Amino acid sequence: MFANKTIILVQGVVHDSLWDILKEKQTQDIFILEGRPYLYPAKHSTREAIRRKITPTLIADNMAGFLFYKNFVKEVWLAYHLADKTGALCDIGALILGVLGKRHRIPVYLYPSGQKTKFLGRGKDLHTFNGVPAVPGNVRAYVPLVDRVPMTYITRIHSGRKSCGT
Amino acid sequence: MKKDIKESPLFWPAKMKRNVLLVLDETLIPAQVKYIKVTDMHSAVEVIRQMKTRAFGQLLVVLNTFLLEINKSPGLSGKHLLHRLEKTALALNRSRPTFPFAEVTGIVLRWAKQAFAEDADIGIFVRKNIMGYLAGIRAKRLERITKIAQVIRDGDTILTHCNVSGELAMAADICRRQKKRIYFFATETRPYLQGAKLTYWELKRMGADVTLVADNAVGSLMSDGLIDKIIVGSDRSCANGDFANKIGTYQIAVLAKEFRVPFYVLTQPSDKVKSGKDIPIEIRDSKELLTFGGKRIVRGRVKGFYPGFDVVPAKFITKQIAIDVR
Repeated sequence: MFANKTIILVQGVVHDSLWDILKEKQTQDIFILEGRPYLYPAKHSTREAIRRKITPTLIADNMAGFLFYKNFVKEVWLAYHLADKTGALCDIGALILGVLGKRHRIPVYLYPSGQKTKFLGRGKDLHTFNGVPAVPGNVRAYVPLVDRVPMTYITRIHSGRKSCGT
Repeated sequence: MKKDIKESPLFWPAKMKRNVLLVLDETLIPAQVKYIKVTDMHSAVEVIRQMKTRAFGQLLVVLNTFLLEINKSPGLSGKHLLHRLEKTALALNRSRPTFPFAEVTGIVLRWAKQAFAEDADIGIFVRKNIMGYLAGIRAKRLERITKIAQVIRDGDTILTHCNVSGELAMAADICRRQKKRIYFFATETRPYLQGAKLTYWELKRMGADVTLVADNAVGSLMSDGLIDKIIVGSDRSCANGDFANKIGTYQIAVLAKEFRVPFYVLTQPSDKVKSGKDIPIEIRDSKELLTFGGKRIVRGRVKGFYPGFDVVPAKFITKQIAIDVR
């Protein structure tokens, strides 16, 4: 299927400069988590990867665990909004990747986000998927949009383009 | 007690009616509750492949397909009927890889071969055994529902993933009548959204308090201390206690361990497969991931990867709520 420890996972909408860095590192393939509810990573990150001739493979947000279990993952990049000594505020789903990274001893790097986010979405954000009605309008949903990722799950926090070459 | 349990349509999603097998089309829920007519092994394989039914529904389709084939074969010699049943088993075994079809069809073929060896009527013998087997499973599943209800305590908030074929919703109904105040979070379960479409619907139908979350919100829920228990189903179990279930289950189990949330799984023990590493995982067509409702999610040359199931090692399980169907 895939060779051991070859997959780079990118979660959240990272700043575009990360794609330049990955290109400079001669990255050819990248796995991108789709990023419910708005699918911004699916749309934005795949476009940026293609622009740099990196082949993106999309997975759903519940599929990262499979790649870790199979020992395919080499490293993880998460988009973050704020960071301090205790950890970082990242796009929703980042904590899952952080915990998986820790359990499987895979490095988890944080890179500045390429867009602003709210803390909480609206219930109706889950009523559609990619603009297509998915469930009835009376379905009650809870839509957190950020995860707090404690430092214990983070290998390194990058501040942006300059520090990334290190 | 068992008689009092209110039944969810997903609990027994395939039923025989006048030589036709009616299979609940789970892909239409919650918009419609509609049954597909299955008349032979070919249409049975199609409903399985197209995921019109899944999980426990597959077991019902398999067993009832043998009944369909027997009913279509009056006057056939024992040798020819045995051959037909073997052909049926082969077709069903090849339908999807992860569910243990060969284990189930193997049981039926054993009965058929036994009848043939004893010069008994294969059709009558196999039919009687299938009916008895189904009645036994039904009783055991009803019993398990009461066990699930016992595990759930007053005030619990439960996270579930994908769909547990009626059992969790029916347990919720028991809890409601026992005056337990309980709450559920159901994950959407990409890419087919079985959690959003099936689980939310059937829990709500049973009067349960349920909230939908995206698959990527489970870490947030657990780290915020909002979840008391996790209850999931399983599609296949191994001799060492590992199990396979819908994609997404592994990361939920890892998070549960990290945040010390008890993780319960409904299993059907089996010793045919040694460990989780031996379970064949179905990799489905990436089109199913890259499009939703006929609309493509991404533009350009984007690949997709869609593993249908996760394997969860036994060490992540707090307790198995098992029924033995061997």
